[in-house]
Amino acid sequence: MKKSFIFPIIFMIVVTAIFTFVLAFLNHSTAERIALNKELELSRKILYIFNIEPQSEEPADVLRAFEESIGTMAYEDNFIYVYYGDDGEILGYAVPVGGPGLWGSVEAYIGVSHDYSIILGLDFISHSETPGLGGRISEDDFKEQFRGLDLTKARDGNYIIYRPAPGGNVDAIAGATLTSKSVSNFINEDLDKFLKGRGNN
Amino acid sequence: MDSPKKIFEMGVWKDNPVLVQIIGICSALAVTNVMMNSLIMGVGLMFVTGLSSFTVSLIRNFTPKHIRMMVQVLIIAAYVIIVDIFLQAYMPEMSKALGPYVGLIITNCIIMGRAEAYAQQNPPIPAFLDGVASGLGYTIVLLLIAFVRELFGFGTIFGIRVLGDWWTSWTIMIMPPAAFFILAVIIWITKSIQEKDKEEKKGEVAKS
Repeated sequence: MKKSFIFPIIFMIVVTAIFTFVLAFLNHSTAERIALNKELELSRKILYIFNIEPQSEEPADVLRAFEESIGTMAYEDNFIYVYYGDDGEILGYAVPVGGPGLWGSVEAYIGVSHDYSIILGLDFISHSETPGLGGRISEDDFKEQFRGLDLTKARDGNYIIYRPAPGGNVDAIAGATLTSKSVSNFINEDLDKFLKGRGNN
Repeated sequence: MDSPKKIFEMGVWKDNPVLVQIIGICSALAVTNVMMNSLIMGVGLMFVTGLSSFTVSLIRNFTPKHIRMMVQVLIIAAYVIIVDIFLQAYMPEMSKALGPYVGLIITNCIIMGRAEAYAQQNPPIPAFLDGVASGLGYTIVLLLIAFVRELFGFGTIFGIRVLGDWWTSWTIMIMPPAAFFILAVIIWITKSIQEKDKEEKKGEVAKS
């Protein structure tokens, strides 16, 4: 083949254009679905925090349950989710909490009852902890422990204390001391800020 | 043209990318803690290697030689993005579990290796089969590693519990180091068998 200067450039432009077109088309046709998936996942987690069971796990039912009882409220530069009862009264709040884990940042929401007296639930939105070790923070066994914890008895903003320390109310994950530790740290810190901001405790 | 049987024999056993060529190791270590992740990763790689080899081979006669690597990377990247978009849209759970590793399929040496070594000189159909065969070889090795790691690390296979409650999970199996020595043991076994085969063949030649 003759070594031309122009041909490789044109060739590259044509190939790039074809692939860009294909990818743009695919991206465009699935964008809606991907956005829906993300919304669905967040909705499931918020519902889980408030212990609301949708009629089924079908996307439509999950989104309906979410729309029926969850609203949002501005909080600092973010917003919190508010759990409304059947008559429009406020039953609880889901506050964003987060901080560094062992490998990367951990983000979660924690549900607090309307009178700020108990924790309703906890769920993790994203984390990159070791599967099977720190990653077990997103397993039900760990998360369920937080339901119904009393916030009024806590002193100095230590709402979460791992057993067997005095006043302990939650079991840490064996073999994942650092992850457990940072989870309790950021929950205590962020929760304290939220509760103090609300003029309580 | 090589027969499909020979192509698959090379890709899966004689010239297995992970065990013999020792390429694609990074992802083999990273995603093998549970079998499901390994399977999806393997299928993704088979798809990308097969189709990119096919495409590279299809345009091999028009591609100017000195920019062929640029073209190959472009083709590979496009197919990887397709896999990524597909997982995000239809298998969101998997997409989360595999995380950044899907994007990293691009850097898997197997794909570019096959494009350079085979697809560049051969017609599209054998190139496609060769890509799939290499991907299959990679998948099998990943599944072998994941089988050992998931079994001892969680007591499960594909998420189904096979070892009872009495089983104490070996934490080390879930951590990256376990993949290192399991991979090493598998390579050791393979090499021993292959060496033995070679010697037997030599013996036969000598006799006749």
